[in-house]
Amino acid sequence: MPSCARNLDVAAELLALLGATGTEPRPDVQLEALTLAVSADLPVLLWGEPGIGKTSALNQLADALGLPLTTVIASVHEPSDFAGLPVVGDDPAVQGVPMAPPDWAVRLARTGKGLLFLDELSTAPPAVQAALLRVVLERRVGALRLPPGIRIVAAANPRASAADGWELSAPLANRFVHLQWAYDHDVVVRGLGGTWPRATLPQLDPAELPAAVDLARRAVCGLLSARPALVHKLPNTETRRGGPWPSPRSWEMTLRLLAFATAAGASRDALSLLVRGTVGDGPGLELLAAMDRLDLPDPEQLLADPASAVLPERGDLRQAVLDGVVEAVRKQPERSRWDAAWALLVRALDTGAPDLVVVPATTLARLRQDDWEVPAAIGRLGVAVTLSQRAEAGR
Amino acid sequence: MKWEKLYAARLYAVRARPYLATALFALHPVESASVPTMAVDRHWRCYISPRFVERMPLPDLAGVWVHEVSHLLRDHHGRGDRYAARTGRDDAGERLRMNIAADCEINDDVYGEGLPWPADAVKPASLGLQNDLLMEDYLDRIRLGGHTQQWAWLDCGSGSDGLGRGWDLGPDGAHGLTAAERDAVRYRVAQGIHGAPGQVPARWKRWADEVFHPPQPWRDLLGAALRSAVSGAGAGDDYSYARPARRSSSLPGVVLPSLRRRPPRVSVVIDTSGSVSDAELGSALLEVAAIGRAVGGRSGAVSVISCDSAAHVAVPVCRAQGVPLVGGGGTDLREGFARSLRSTPRPDVIVALTDGQTPWPEAAPPCRAVVGLFRRPVVHRKTGYLAQRPPDWARVVTIG
Repeated sequence: MPSCARNLDVAAELLALLGATGTEPRPDVQLEALTLAVSADLPVLLWGEPGIGKTSALNQLADALGLPLTTVIASVHEPSDFAGLPVVGDDPAVQGVPMAPPDWAVRLARTGKGLLFLDELSTAPPAVQAALLRVVLERRVGALRLPPGIRIVAAANPRASAADGWELSAPLANRFVHLQWAYDHDVVVRGLGGTWPRATLPQLDPAELPAAVDLARRAVCGLLSARPALVHKLPNTETRRGGPWPSPRSWEMTLRLLAFATAAGASRDALSLLVRGTVGDGPGLELLAAMDRLDLPDPEQLLADPASAVLPERGDLRQAVLDGVVEAVRKQPERSRWDAAWALLVRALDTGAPDLVVVPATTLARLRQDDWEVPAAIGRLGVAVTLSQRAEAGR
Repeated sequence: MKWEKLYAARLYAVRARPYLATALFALHPVESASVPTMAVDRHWRCYISPRFVERMPLPDLAGVWVHEVSHLLRDHHGRGDRYAARTGRDDAGERLRMNIAADCEINDDVYGEGLPWPADAVKPASLGLQNDLLMEDYLDRIRLGGHTQQWAWLDCGSGSDGLGRGWDLGPDGAHGLTAAERDAVRYRVAQGIHGAPGQVPARWKRWADEVFHPPQPWRDLLGAALRSAVSGAGAGDDYSYARPARRSSSLPGVVLPSLRRRPPRVSVVIDTSGSVSDAELGSALLEVAAIGRAVGGRSGAVSVISCDSAAHVAVPVCRAQGVPLVGGGGTDLREGFARSLRSTPRPDVIVALTDGQTPWPEAAPPCRAVVGLFRRPVVHRKTGYLAQRPPDWARVVTIG
């Protein structure tokens, strides 16, 4: 027997050795997106194959935010565990039947803050999913209301890998920010070698808050007033209904996420994950494209001061800006604006690829009115003219 | 390097393929002496050999611009990586195969219509393959060997096959596009094609339709339709207050619902009218039986009725084996529906597998219905019979 006990001690030593791993800072877009959504107080749903590290990411997040983690496996619970257990009192006709919350909810409410992790959501039967609606949206478990300091994160296995399960019901799916969880091969190999990544979490900048709210409202309202069809669109197949889709509720969530991402200076990749995970791929990409346009310099400002204009480096964006400038001149043709546009084109030619300038220059030349003299700067556009001729001749 | 010629070629390419202008302008050209011709990486940089620019006629150079940008738009590096992960084979030869297959996919869109075919371009025909397949289909058919020897020099860079090259600047280098920016560019090109589809070839239109909404496999759709039908109220596994829960005895004064398990009964009506092939039917039937079993059906919970102009024998299946498919000839699925509704116990879900050339019941049956529709031309070749669309009360999934 003593040798057995010693054996266990040695085993514990070996386990301790294996468990002693270090961490290193490493940017992680998924974790950044998850943290942003959690700090924005929106329920998050992580989709990923079993064993991919969703739970360990949650542990990491809880550590980083300093919140206690409560895990509830949704699929082994009954609806009454979320809707409350009906308790028949002395005189039910007078006092009613109170719905008593389970112990984990009471403990969470007493702590006042924490991370509630609902695991295995997609294998929960439809009745349990329906009961979860109120927990996720109104934070009510039976008669108990969870305090605002509680954050909710859920995890689900995609249909193809769940042993047995249901598509998420459309109303429940619409209340979540869906994040696809995948592992990074390098991270896993390096982690098994003893060094796991430690994500640097986004910090909200107090000075940026009003500007962030303004930007978020402008972006979402701008898109939705131009594209009314995007406001509410229930997908037409069951498989897509269990994912993100656009509705007034999910647009409101998007607005909040946009404001948080802007205030935290989050990367575009993280924002893209969040927005596409809230309203779906198509509407999400449209919103991101609209935001790209918001980021571009305003044609009127460029025309007002062409000498100090800063044009975007990327060719496609630069072409969009130049087209915008020419369009602005076309709408309000004045001599001074026309000259300023030529100065801008020369500037574009000096600082980037010449082929971008050809189409705007041709359009701008057509806008000339009889009494306008050709500006001297136009001579410097000779490169573009040659280019256009070569492309025409194919030589 | 002759930058002017290079940019003139890009302008030529933009004029020949205006719908790709955004993508062409988003490419960042990088001069590199180690590249044999022109190559792209996954961050939308285009590495260009100065000698290649000097040697090529301008229209051919324009073709190469379009060729390289097509690799990026069609995400050949990502698809190559996924193919390698699926097959477990990944080496230089495999990546060359991917480059050849990717070229097969794009070349007939790239060249022609104002851009000359280069003499040494990869064509599916010269490999004995048909046109209009996807990179993955070509990969399954192409073997490296004598007839691919002529393309051993082929190198469109890591953007075409996913294998890193010595000249790549990597994710941190200058002027690279991040994943979100790449998606944004591809999305804008797709939007442009949607906006002005007139001049765009059909294959690019299809790309624009599917790039952010990939078509889902029919197995998933059929499965989802069937699962949502059997898991609805009144069928299958759910909670009910009809009978108190087992826990109730330990909690006096508390009324708990209990989990009641009633395996859903699925009745499959199969169209055996001869216009549906056995292979198609077999795979669909296998799928239905597997789902029926997964949602808790015991043997006997899935029954099959083969139906042509009359409903034939109803057989319970447990392993989708040895189901006699009787019939052949004209179809009248109304018989099959009536027959399956007459059976006791009544089914919770009726799944009809048919080519759609049948009359449908007038009224909705008193249970859920899923129709697996085999894709067929709208008008029947022999009879000229115009297929009627399946009614609205059924969830329709197109198969194949």
